[in-house]
Amino acid sequence: MNPNEDPHASLVEQALASFDLAAEHHLANCPACERERERVQEVLREFGAANRQRASRPEHFWEQQAARIRAARSESGRRSGLGLTLTPGLAALLLLALAVLGRGPAPSSTSVRTATAQADADQQLFVRVERAVESNTPLALEPVTLKVEEDDGSVPLKATTEKREPRSHEN
Amino acid sequence: METALTPALGAAAQKIAANEFDAIVRNHQRRVHRFLFMMLRDPDEADNLTQECFLRAYQNLATFRGESSLETWLLRIAANLVRDQARNRKAGFWKRLLGLEDRDGEAGERWAAPEASPEQVLLAREDVKAVREIADRLSQQQRAVFMLRFVEEMELNEIAAVLGLQVGSVKTHLFRAVQTVREKLRDLR
Repeated sequence: MNPNEDPHASLVEQALASFDLAAEHHLANCPACERERERVQEVLREFGAANRQRASRPEHFWEQQAARIRAARSESGRRSGLGLTLTPGLAALLLLALAVLGRGPAPSSTSVRTATAQADADQQLFVRVERAVESNTPLALEPVTLKVEEDDGSVPLKATTEKREPRSHEN
Repeated sequence: METALTPALGAAAQKIAANEFDAIVRNHQRRVHRFLFMMLRDPDEADNLTQECFLRAYQNLATFRGESSLETWLLRIAANLVRDQARNRKAGFWKRLLGLEDRDGEAGERWAAPEASPEQVLLAREDVKAVREIADRLSQQQRAVFMLRFVEEMELNEIAAVLGLQVGSVKTHLFRAVQTVREKLRDLR
């Protein structure tokens, strides 16, 4: 039989791959195809046996492998146990850190100095307002006088060399 | 293959005793290792992935619902590991380049019957070698189907369960693989 011209080749393969009623029916009535199926089947059986033999290992190999798996399993269990122990502690630490950070940063020395200077300037302005009230300036012009003096620097504000920040009570 | 332990591995599988899991390893390590070795063709990688396979099984015992046999479940984990391994082909490339692949060699292989004549032994060896070469060139999926069928001698529905395929797809893969093997054997004659 020339297999290249075999019109039933796919039926042989079909029968080898899985049970197929049509293929089995044909093979039952075609000795050449049946022989070909048996031949390939035998090769595949040998292939399977050779591979099983090739993959076989001595008994001590399996024992060592089982021991390695046991060790890896113990290590994995120990790690997860450690994780469970540490997790509540870590969570508490994280919450504490967030609570501390939530209060905002501690005031720096620069901001303290600025606040002090601001308070001094306010105090001086207050004194000047009092003086103006006690002066002879017409009542209606007193605020304007104060404003001009401040803008011109004609009445120097000794402690306020830096620009004043807007004050909350001015708004 | 069902084991005496299989029914115990239900929802409370995560509580399985250490010695019970050792028994699972002993019962199934050979088949898992053989499948990995056939797929990877590297004894060291097969050994490492066998270990990884059982470690994953242990960590995921709670997910085993007993819908398939424990062995099918283990082989499915192994098949997934092979798939993951295949994603990193760089190592394989360098191994092939350096000729380190297939270190197991062919020494000591005896696949012909002891009573066979030297000529028959030679022919059988050539045939098996040809089939192995073909199997090595099959796609990963086809090779897995082919190996599970002809080396592990599994049924088609078992193969489908291991590889997460429909039985029809398994048949198609197997038909094509057998077709390729047969063509190669035809060329040898």
